[in-house]
Amino acid sequence: MFSKRLLLIITVLLLLLAACTGSQAEPAADNTTDTEADSSTENTADTSEETSEETADEGDGECAGTIVLGSAVSSTGKYAREGKDTSQGYDTWLDWVNNEYGGIKVGDECYNVEIIYYDDEGDPDTAANLVERLITEDEVDFLLGPYSSGLTMSTSAIAEKYGMVMVEGNGASESIFERGFQNIFAVLTPAGNYTQSALKSLADQGAETVVVAYEDTAFPTSVGEGAIRWAEEYGLEVLAVETYPIDVADVSAIMTKFRDLEPDVFVGGGHFNDALLFVRGAQELGFNPQAMVITVGPSNPEFVAEVGDAANYIIGPTQWEATMSWEDEYFGTAAEYAARYEEMWGEPPTYQAAESTATALALQLAIEQAGSLEMDAVRQALFDLDVVTFYGPINFDETGKNAAKPMGAIQIQDGVINVVAPSEAAVTDLLYPMPAWEDR
Amino acid sequence: MEQFTQAAINGIMLGGFYAIMVLGFSIIWGVMGVINLAHGEFVMLGAYITWFVSRQLGWEPFLAIIFVLPIMFALGYVLQRILINRIIERPHLISLLVTFALAIIMANAVKLAFEATFRSVTTMFSGFWRTGFGNVTIPITKSMVLVSALLVMLLLHLFLQYTRLGKSIRAAAQNREAARLVGIEIKQVYALTFAICIAITGLAGMLISPTQPIYPFMGPVLTLKAFAITALSGLGSIPGALMGGVVLGLVEVFIATYIPGVGTNLGIVSSFVILVVVLVTRPQGLFGGLKPAEAV
Repeated sequence: MFSKRLLLIITVLLLLLAACTGSQAEPAADNTTDTEADSSTENTADTSEETSEETADEGDGECAGTIVLGSAVSSTGKYAREGKDTSQGYDTWLDWVNNEYGGIKVGDECYNVEIIYYDDEGDPDTAANLVERLITEDEVDFLLGPYSSGLTMSTSAIAEKYGMVMVEGNGASESIFERGFQNIFAVLTPAGNYTQSALKSLADQGAETVVVAYEDTAFPTSVGEGAIRWAEEYGLEVLAVETYPIDVADVSAIMTKFRDLEPDVFVGGGHFNDALLFVRGAQELGFNPQAMVITVGPSNPEFVAEVGDAANYIIGPTQWEATMSWEDEYFGTAAEYAARYEEMWGEPPTYQAAESTATALALQLAIEQAGSLEMDAVRQALFDLDVVTFYGPINFDETGKNAAKPMGAIQIQDGVINVVAPSEAAVTDLLYPMPAWEDR
Repeated sequence: MEQFTQAAINGIMLGGFYAIMVLGFSIIWGVMGVINLAHGEFVMLGAYITWFVSRQLGWEPFLAIIFVLPIMFALGYVLQRILINRIIERPHLISLLVTFALAIIMANAVKLAFEATFRSVTTMFSGFWRTGFGNVTIPITKSMVLVSALLVMLLLHLFLQYTRLGKSIRAAAQNREAARLVGIEIKQVYALTFAICIAITGLAGMLISPTQPIYPFMGPVLTLKAFAITALSGLGSIPGALMGGVVLGLVEVFIATYIPGVGTNLGIVSSFVILVVVLVTRPQGLFGGLKPAEAV
């Protein structure tokens, strides 16, 4: 009698809990972000002075209207950290375009910009609902993307349904662009190419075998499958491939299997927490590949802070680093962008932040080239766009991917993140092989 | 054989963590019939105290125990006195709502205080021992977790069996009314039980902090796992928690090791399959344990 009731309660509970794991946070609030007028406005690079002079006579208040952009970005949940980078990247652009650039130029008129953010809590369904709300209730003009491929997958379907342009910089999975959508544009290098330059460098250094582990969600899957493809391309033998679920807390079994195979290169595709798990797991089981290539974590300065010395020798793909040589007339060089960002937010930009700024910049340039706020004109302008920005070249192919931008690779050397590939952007040589854990 | 031995070691290590992680959840449920949906958040809080102490003071993370235990004990005691005691004799749903609210508050408070960045604690006990048997190694940090778990369980067992307060706790679990009749001050007993359980849960958080990334929203997965292990082990049973934890740890790791490609996924699925099977066939758990306080 009692046991039946308990059984019922537990079943209901588990359902409740399962439903709630994705939505621990309060319902999304209407956080219309104010522009950060107090900081960073004095930080004018040479190039942007010219533009602000041109527009000085127009002033802030005289713009013809306001363009409203909307975005669902995680401020809680699994992607809270990267979501913060994303919204800070958007806001860096927002502050610049409103206060320095003098609003988006459409024909002879200028428009101020406002961004409406909702917290998607890292949940694809929530994100999709919020984007629907942005389109139908808030009636935004254009959409900016969320953080992560999974959320971009779900939200871009809504954007497509309403024929609303969404420009994004944080959904790199190839599967996003394989659905024939006409309204999704991504400024970043697609995930399949993440490990290309790292694997090429390692093959050049004499590595022969690879093992691959990746999380079974959209972006890591693209990274992992891409890694297998590039490994074969460069003549590396793939010894084993393992996948794991999103909230994994223990990778000891994967590390044990890999250790017995004695591979030269370990490739881990996942997000920040997986990078921590891989390094800890390898360290505590004595798994000693000659090189570890791990996505997302290593290129973030926080990674070194959290992992300490164990982070050394880890290689990571990077969309962008402040030391790269890209430059534009809006934010100046990559380094000048980084200085502006750091002044505004008190921390150096991650590549997630830089690509978010570039996302908004690409949309702005397309609107200006279209000379209209008409959806079809802006969409066509995005397809036609071909520019070089502080973030790298942007040129969308017919699926909306940015086919023009190469991917870099960094290695952590003595706690410093150094670009090691491709050779034209490298600041130092790749250290290979990495010493065994016992010999450090 | 090497792989088998290594998998067994990994599984037992994982089981040790599961056992100490589930203990507080299982005893609170067993003694007062409260299903603590904020359980994972208490683990998270213990881990964050450890991270904060080791980062701010530069201490070895395991020394954070002198902060973790008193802070979590006090938190547990206060929460019980002002919150949980008011709802204990109400329908189950109320306690679910209250603890769920607690979970949300704690996760978001930690996020506000420390940001949502994944944190990690570095201990001087990282690395491994070679066993001399092929490649087989024993991870040092995780063995310390296992030893601590066993120690805590032993102490708790002795406490529940042989001290006056321990006996009161068991009495309160078996029959609330009768315990009142013989003069046990039930609210005080409950408050101390809750405080002890939260302290142990915080300790579990401290112990895992060097082996897993910690972040404010790590709780729900742990709570869910605690459900599965409690179903396996029975409510409030210490040997049960150990056996349940180790069985689950071994199952997960062996499946993950011997099924290529998707093993880690299947390993985690298996724990919930076990949950369903046990609930259907042996709802009192595999190992007996405290009788649950009557529902409603």
